[in-house]
Amino acid sequence: MKCNEVQRVLPEMLEGGQNGEFLAHVEACPACGELVSDLKTISVAAAGLAESAEPAPRVWVNIAAQLRSEGLIREPESQPAGPVLVPDRRRWSAWWLAPVAAALVVAGSYVINHRPLPQVANQPPANQPPALTVPVSKEAPDASVQAKNQQPATNRKPPSTAASSGDEQAFSAPTETVSLDDQQFLDQVSGRSATMKATYESHLRSVNSYIRDAEAYLKRNPADEDARRHLMEAYEQKAMLYQMALDHVQ
Amino acid sequence: MTDPKQPNLTEPEAIERAKQGDESAFEVLYHLHKRRVYSLCLRMVSNPTQAEDLTQEAFMQLFRKVGTFRGESAFSTWLHRMTVNVVLMHLRKKGLPLVSLDETIESDEETQRKDLGGDDLRLTGSLDRLQLQRAIDRLPPGYKTVFVLHDVEGFEHNEIANLVGCSIGNSKSQLHKARLKLRDYLKSMRAEKAKNG
Repeated sequence: MKCNEVQRVLPEMLEGGQNGEFLAHVEACPACGELVSDLKTISVAAAGLAESAEPAPRVWVNIAAQLRSEGLIREPESQPAGPVLVPDRRRWSAWWLAPVAAALVVAGSYVINHRPLPQVANQPPANQPPALTVPVSKEAPDASVQAKNQQPATNRKPPSTAASSGDEQAFSAPTETVSLDDQQFLDQVSGRSATMKATYESHLRSVNSYIRDAEAYLKRNPADEDARRHLMEAYEQKAMLYQMALDHVQ
Repeated sequence: MTDPKQPNLTEPEAIERAKQGDESAFEVLYHLHKRRVYSLCLRMVSNPTQAEDLTQEAFMQLFRKVGTFRGESAFSTWLHRMTVNVVLMHLRKKGLPLVSLDETIESDEETQRKDLGGDDLRLTGSLDRLQLQRAIDRLPPGYKTVFVLHDVEGFEHNEIANLVGCSIGNSKSQLHKARLKLRDYLKSMRAEKAKNG
């Protein structure tokens, strides 16, 4: 066998092929012998690279946040689930999703307001939570919901549109943090458990604060795309909170 | 390496708990397989940040589908394939060729020219991992894909052919040419090192 013939059959031979002439030539020819040896060395060394690197800790942090945002993590019953308000800049890239997120809020409120209460135990909770004295919020999304909660969500003007049209009421700095619709939502949730209501109320306050901050920032920086993205994420968080509550009361 | 904060779950236990949405189970599965997944991604894209993003995507796909895992194959094999698909999808989106269209074997002259260099540049005996990694990073995308999948990750040619959409013969040809190129790179690195003292 000549060197050029060895070259031709080399790929097959390295994959485990058997050929007496090939082996004889490789043993006799220094150049071909060296070539075969080098290629085998490379193949063996490559196998040792399989697990040589480790990802940064942020990878798990991002995965955990995404698992929560997608609802793939289910909390035990004793700890009602709540959203992780971790904005992910990469999640939103389409401005048109803002009215969709807002519509989710409207749809959640509509369904909760028109769904019969689940049958609960006859005995009332041992410790009734203190009554909330929460006046109506002036936030644009909830104001629209309050006026149109009987109508399909598609008729509702997106809050961003209200913002861009200069609706001052949408951007007033409210002192209260839970709107009337939020209160109705919480009342429905409380039919399940007082603990769950307290948890959702806390999360509602956080997400409403997030929405307020995002709206205020967007008002000051209307051309800021990041601000728009944050506002969309804030609406999404609230929509997710409603959806999670829906899942619990069903 | 075990994380003291992780519950003492076996992989099958973690899989079942993950199907129930147990966060700690997800974390156990992640830590069990993160190195393999990340290393594969890093070998294929040669960029740590991209590799981390792809690692995240691979695990998210896994966790979304964990409820469908029935145990017909090993969990690691399932994850491995999923990771390869994620990486290949990424490469396709970037417009990079997964496999070279050129199936011709190099000419005798090209092959024999590579054998010149003398005993001091033989690769046999020891091979620096860092040098090998650098050489792999220099490979053209098509060669790199097949080489990483076969020699680093252990896929067979029929599996590679299915994954990247080529023939088994093409996969073998690409692998051979990848190894020849790596040999060239490594010899030139050694020559450079010898020259610089």
